[in-house]
Amino acid sequence: MSLWFSRRRQSTLAVLAIAALLLNGCGRDASTQVSLCGPSGQLRVGYVGADEGRAQGGQAVLPDQDITRVRDLLTVASRCEVVLEPVASPEQARLRLSSGGWDAAFLPPGLAALALEGAGSTDYNLLRPLGQRSNSRSVLLVAAGSERRSVKQLKGARLGLLPRGSLTGFYLPLYNLHGLSLGSVHYALSYSELLEQLRAGRLDVIAWDAALPDPGADVRVLNSDPNTIPVGALVLSQALVAADHQPFLRVLDQSAPQLPPSLGYVAGVLPEAQQLQRLRSVVNSVESWTLPLEGQPYAVYGRKQSLIPEERR
Amino acid sequence: MRLHPELLFSQISLYLEKANCGCDMKFPALQGWMVGSGQRPLRKQLAITLSAIFAVSILVAVLLLNQLFGLQARNLIDQRSSFFMDAMLAVREYTSKNVNPIVAPLNQGAGGFRPESVPSYSAQTVFSYLKAKPEYRDYSYREAALNPTNLRDKADSFETGVIERFRNDATLTTIAGEKATPLGDMHFVARPIKITKESCLVCHSTPDRAPASQLLTYGDSSGFGWKLNEIVGAQIVTVPQKAVFEAKDRSLFTTALLFVIAFVAVGLITNSVLNQLILRPMREISRKAEEASVTPATVSFEERNRSDEIGLLARSFERMKQSLAISMQMLKDRQSRP
Repeated sequence: MSLWFSRRRQSTLAVLAIAALLLNGCGRDASTQVSLCGPSGQLRVGYVGADEGRAQGGQAVLPDQDITRVRDLLTVASRCEVVLEPVASPEQARLRLSSGGWDAAFLPPGLAALALEGAGSTDYNLLRPLGQRSNSRSVLLVAAGSERRSVKQLKGARLGLLPRGSLTGFYLPLYNLHGLSLGSVHYALSYSELLEQLRAGRLDVIAWDAALPDPGADVRVLNSDPNTIPVGALVLSQALVAADHQPFLRVLDQSAPQLPPSLGYVAGVLPEAQQLQRLRSVVNSVESWTLPLEGQPYAVYGRKQSLIPEERR
Repeated sequence: MRLHPELLFSQISLYLEKANCGCDMKFPALQGWMVGSGQRPLRKQLAITLSAIFAVSILVAVLLLNQLFGLQARNLIDQRSSFFMDAMLAVREYTSKNVNPIVAPLNQGAGGFRPESVPSYSAQTVFSYLKAKPEYRDYSYREAALNPTNLRDKADSFETGVIERFRNDATLTTIAGEKATPLGDMHFVARPIKITKESCLVCHSTPDRAPASQLLTYGDSSGFGWKLNEIVGAQIVTVPQKAVFEAKDRSLFTTALLFVIAFVAVGLITNSVLNQLILRPMREISRKAEEASVTPATVSFEERNRSDEIGLLARSFERMKQSLAISMQMLKDRQSRP
């Protein structure tokens, strides 16, 4: 019996070995994990953060050590090669969104509203809220000694704004200045730079966020927008939302403590789209206008959609 | 499940060792099985022997080719990666010489920053179009820098290590190897990015030299302080190891299949030739010998005219038949004598 077995084994061993090697050629990866990749075969993720214009001059939007950590975390969550693009300028982010250059993005409220609107070739869905609720409002600051007491007196003024794409620093200030002719419009990447220029006398009025620390006694608020600013959002392109994105979201939720605290990622909660939807009319209106260029005079003029009052929502 | 040839080889060795160790009787059994001990028809025995020889030959060939094709697949990927990097260098050169002079003045104006003037942007954009083709989908291209303008290109710890190696050894032109990532092991090829043009420093030396639109887009915190002839980053092409293995396995499978087809054909032809040359004449001689044992006079071994071993055998049978006929005649004569 043993001899028979041994002969049998001998004869089958070689055949099995060859068959195994041949089958190896057709071997499949046993991994069944779903990957969430964009049409480019990569997951292109934009990172602007939850806040607008908060970074101080010379400060990167995302510290070096966080870039690698966030990229690795997104790679694990998506099972796809991640191209993470931290962006300081809302204008740059707006261009990426409008060209469909990002599959997902961590956005402040203005850009989230823009993404929700269907910024261009790609539509996005809100997935998770970013940032803490605060008393964020768009205000206009002038020097304390300025003779300008009302918005109407800003005719011919030099206005400082954040780049296009910012809700508190661009869309709302322009919306509130509708009908005025400004002397010139200037841009800066952060509120602190705008404040510096206001103090230096290079600007007459600047956009400001009421949630920022008190700017000091040498400036005063000229106008305060009544609208409450919603929080930012993590958005995902609709093509990927239509795909199976739940595993991606689950891993992100589980790893929320590893995301930068400044991002304010809130796990397991859907963003309140209502407030963003409401502010879409502001974004829509301003986006439909001919927009100001750096250092050029500008007449704030164009079709203005009226806002639905908050209490009627 | 992936089969590891090395493991298979060691298992076979182990098996042969076991077959050898303290079991001397198994070798004669194997020998008998391979060479035959007259238990089976020759044709069947030959088929068994040839199958065994061919199986072992294919096994050994496949094990050796597995190593060879692995090396070839890696070389092919390295060559393709080098081609990508050369192509991207050409795109950079074109952007630097032809596009930048046209677009850069626009960046000095009131409009937004146009990244089309940046060689790195052009190279990575062109590669993204290339990557859209299915045959290049596995390849990734990055221009990682220690201090990039766009933080998308910020080198991670691994890439920083590669760039530092280039910075520390000016003679080093290429680094290739494997790296572990959250998506699995990757094969990579890297080349240094050196600042050789003064024009690069307009945007990368100090913020006051950079266009205002660039500062408004990327800020003034990164991408500055570069120096002429400094290695600031690396071109890195990565390919999943899985893709290397798949390329190797495809070649191996095709070759092994060709081996099997060739050996099966050789086996069939050998068997047919054996049948024509030996087995059929032998069966015929055997039948005639049977007949000759009863009526030797009616049988003729025509094969005796052949000059091969069959002819030799036929001649022997012919002589035996004649001897038998004489003996039978003598016996008959003796019986008929009173």
